[in-house]
Amino acid sequence: MITMHEVAREDVQLVEEALGGNQLSFQLLIERYQDRIFALARHYTTKTVEVEDIVQDTFLKAYRRLETFQRQSSFSTWLYRIAVNTALDFLKRMGRSPVQAVEDPELSASPVRAQAGSGVTVAAPDAHLRREEIARITAEVLAELPEIFRTVLILREFEDMPYQEMADVLGISIGTVESRLFRARARFKDAMLRLHPEFATPD
Amino acid sequence: MKISCDDARPLVPSYLDGELSEAQASPLRAHLLDCPACREVAKEGKSLRRWFEAVPDPIPVPAGFAARVARRAFAGDPGLLVPEPPAIRQRRPLLPFLLVASAVAAAVLLVLAVAIQRESLPRTNGLDALPSRPPWLDAPASNAQSAAAPSSPSR
Repeated sequence: MITMHEVAREDVQLVEEALGGNQLSFQLLIERYQDRIFALARHYTTKTVEVEDIVQDTFLKAYRRLETFQRQSSFSTWLYRIAVNTALDFLKRMGRSPVQAVEDPELSASPVRAQAGSGVTVAAPDAHLRREEIARITAEVLAELPEIFRTVLILREFEDMPYQEMADVLGISIGTVESRLFRARARFKDAMLRLHPEFATPD
Repeated sequence: MKISCDDARPLVPSYLDGELSEAQASPLRAHLLDCPACREVAKEGKSLRRWFEAVPDPIPVPAGFAARVARRAFAGDPGLLVPEPPAIRQRRPLLPFLLVASAVAAAVLLVLAVAIQRESLPRTNGLDALPSRPPWLDAPASNAQSAAAPSSPSR
């Protein structure tokens, strides 16, 4: 079985070959990561064409910046950083970012009403809800969140990323990852209770 | 080692995320067994996570995607989403504008200067009792003279 370390070593090898002009090596790198980057982009838009554009641009940007890839982080982390930034650029460009330029969601005191002890909690999805329905509701609630909160939830909950990798991808400290996640979950709960009060349960 | 609710609560999210070391997780687990209020917080955290277990339907990668993108990358394609250059509003170069503006200002000043100079000249030459007449009223000279002759006072 191939280990993470071996994958990372092979990635570096492919990067060096691509930098040396080997197109096939870069194609192999794309094939290694395309499924994951498609899945990531899918959390930012539901339109197939837009997902393809985000993924394609991620790899085109990665190729243009391949020389700047430092071996301290894994190629995967480096690529995720480009993918997240490409997706966020895309949202801004399409005017779909729910964050106003003047708002700093980190500092904003606004609505984190639904924290522990507020008397209301969010129930787990009903057993009778179909998977697609749960995914649709979750996506709808996520779309209400400022992009930095949406992104930490996507990386943590869907991509199952450890805090350290999230910190590397986002270029922030682990402490900031923790506080951002805490606020993101509070915002998610708040938005869920607002959009779907049927899932509220008394504390 | 026992921990208080104040110590336990901030650790709950990291615990649920599997980010605590065993040395940190062990006293928290013991606290959660004893404390219904903190257990409720942990339960809510788990309920919220359940919403993320249903992953949206994946979008299939189109056939030949990797080969196509690699080809485009090596052909120097910058991609669709490259930020547009900040030239949506074309900024005009400043120098030509300043040159034209200076020339116009100089012309206006020249016209004004000439006008002011003309205005400040005496309307008569000071020796003539009659008001000065524009030259075109006197031209042609022969007609003017012949026209003026009859009206000249006879002495």
